[in-house]
Amino acid sequence: MEERKRKSDTAKAETGYAVIWCRDFRLQALKRRGGRDLPVALVDDTQRQSIVLCCNALAARSGVAPGMPTVQALARCPLLRVDRPSEASELVASRLLLETALAWVPGIEETAPGILTLDLSTQPESDWIESAYRLCDRLARLGLEVVVGLGETPALARIAAQTALHEGAEVWQLEPSARLVQLDRLPFLVAECGTKLREKLQLWGLASLGAFARLRREEVAARLGDEGVELWLRLTGRLRRPLCLAKLEELFEEHHDFEYEEHDREPLFFLLRRFIGSLAGRVAATGRGVAAVHWLVSFADGSCQARRLALPEPSLDEEVLFRLASSPIEGLEMKAAVIGLRLRFEPSDPVATQRPLFGKGLRNRHLHGETLTRMRKIVGADRIGSPRRLDTHRPGVCERAPLAAELGETEGPPPGPPVTGPTLRRYPLACRTSVQLREGKPLRVESARLTGVVIEAHGPWKSGGDWWHRGQSWERSEWDVALLNHGLFRLVETPQGWSLEGYYD
Amino acid sequence: MPAPDKLAALASLRRELAGKVRSGTEFLEECERRDPEEATALAGLDAILGGGFKRGRLTEIQVPGPSRGGGLVLASLLARARQAGQYAILFDVGSGFSVESFPERDLESLLWVGCDSAAQAVAVWDVAARDENYRWFLLDGRDCTPEDWRAVRPAQWQRIVGQMREREAVGVIFARGPVTAVAKDRLELVSPLGLESLHQDREVIAASLRFRRVDGGAGENAGRREGGERRMAG
Repeated sequence: MEERKRKSDTAKAETGYAVIWCRDFRLQALKRRGGRDLPVALVDDTQRQSIVLCCNALAARSGVAPGMPTVQALARCPLLRVDRPSEASELVASRLLLETALAWVPGIEETAPGILTLDLSTQPESDWIESAYRLCDRLARLGLEVVVGLGETPALARIAAQTALHEGAEVWQLEPSARLVQLDRLPFLVAECGTKLREKLQLWGLASLGAFARLRREEVAARLGDEGVELWLRLTGRLRRPLCLAKLEELFEEHHDFEYEEHDREPLFFLLRRFIGSLAGRVAATGRGVAAVHWLVSFADGSCQARRLALPEPSLDEEVLFRLASSPIEGLEMKAAVIGLRLRFEPSDPVATQRPLFGKGLRNRHLHGETLTRMRKIVGADRIGSPRRLDTHRPGVCERAPLAAELGETEGPPPGPPVTGPTLRRYPLACRTSVQLREGKPLRVESARLTGVVIEAHGPWKSGGDWWHRGQSWERSEWDVALLNHGLFRLVETPQGWSLEGYYD
Repeated sequence: MPAPDKLAALASLRRELAGKVRSGTEFLEECERRDPEEATALAGLDAILGGGFKRGRLTEIQVPGPSRGGGLVLASLLARARQAGQYAILFDVGSGFSVESFPERDLESLLWVGCDSAAQAVAVWDVAARDENYRWFLLDGRDCTPEDWRAVRPAQWQRIVGQMREREAVGVIFARGPVTAVAKDRLELVSPLGLESLHQDREVIAASLRFRRVDGGAGENAGRREGGERRMAG
């Protein structure tokens, strides 16, 4: 019991969340690649009066503030550069943020534009801080300045991130063991509670979050209602919620709209190669592989063609990905000019299996997949596979399964009854046969394929089944016969008549 | 950082073992060099081939008629491939392969390809021969006629053998008569099976199979014909 309790405590201690907060995300998204050394402000000029949405530190130093009319901001800071928000830049920056965070842990929620909440339960607690700093560095190299807050719950991690923003730190952790002590130093501002509540608490003489967290829940509920209780639950770590995990399906995507109508395939291949190089690098940075490739080609007549091409196993080999994506385009019917190309990679979790050193299995699964595709084009998709018996006594029924990628060890004889007799080779079409009988046994066989005298016959071996399925019942009597100067054959009698099924060899 | 004395001990151990220990890759390469043949469980066949099927070569097994044991040889090769953990691909002209005649375990490493004609089977083989995953290429053309084989372009055989040589794969063709001049070994099954064999243990029947080496004759004719075709093409 003691041990279980200890284990439970340990598990609880390792539950943690991180909030990545990109301050002034819309501005950073726009000025990711330059313009950082100038005072910049984003403005909303869709209303009657243009107002400042956000500004950088240089502009703020000159007295520019969000909500201010643009005219006033320009008067305060004559060098102010004014820009409109760009949805495209924000989308690119969101993807960058998400992709970079994916390299840390897989469970990520896009809480708001520029804010991500990460579930850190998949990583040891001792690595959290180091990983957080590494993430900040990587994003800084990509032109995004972020802070990271770490806490026991998503709400506490958010408070930690707000604290980092206010204190100018890159990473700030709200440690479970010293939570109240740390909260004692924090103002109500970082908890993002309403102004009225904040004022009321100050009137009560409460100066820090820690002081509020020490109150009793009943008293808070009686005096402050739902808003107070919600804040109290957040601060005490009792407000837990599942993360709404980000969908990765559409994350790794590139597209290009041609400025002119394109009638040739060559530019498509050029673009494909460029997209694959860029997307593969992005997928690789998250520690994943590509499980499938989607492409969509749009034509000038309004039609489009799309394909999903699955890989036999996740890969990041650019050549393999290019071959896979380009081969259907080679056979694409270009009825109209191409006006756009979209390419998307479906990421997969990394393959966690390690093949044995002397393992028996496919050496190159991608090559195997390509070979199958090419062979299917020659013989048809339904005529290739690894033959497997079905759970029936009906002769000649089997399925074609995919070839096993790994082969187990074999020792001793195969399981099941001992294998007796030669193999049967079936004729492709049932060969209608006329059979002469003597005392119920075949004496002479005549058919288009062969005619012969029966020198010995074993049988009849009767079988039947599927009578419980309407229209599918079957019954037959088999005879194994030796035909003079011909060999051993299987003769079958069904309600439709006699037929020569095949020969033993 | 390990202590210097530990590093020195490790270095001396490495020097000492350098000549005695091989890497896994070296071991496998040595095995390949040591066994250039793929032995089968058929003593008669191994004896006549001088140890087994030669890697990188094409072997024809001529089955003059039904019930000579061609299917048994095929079953034996599939069992051998599965036991060694190697993949086999069967080009089945006529799709007469009956799954119930083979132990389920031996089918795990088999890729079956149903073909309509000998020419189609060789075309598919030409594609598959480039795949390093397969060690055994088996073509079951027992129901093909000599005209069917003539429809195959000789250059395709040459290309297939070249690919097989590169990958050290084994190619076996089951046919009623001679198929191609590029086949280095040509054997004929000479022992007909009796009705009593239907109830005998398969190993017993396989042990009783008799082979005969076919030299020249039809094979040479095939070679002359292909040579002629090549000359014409040239």
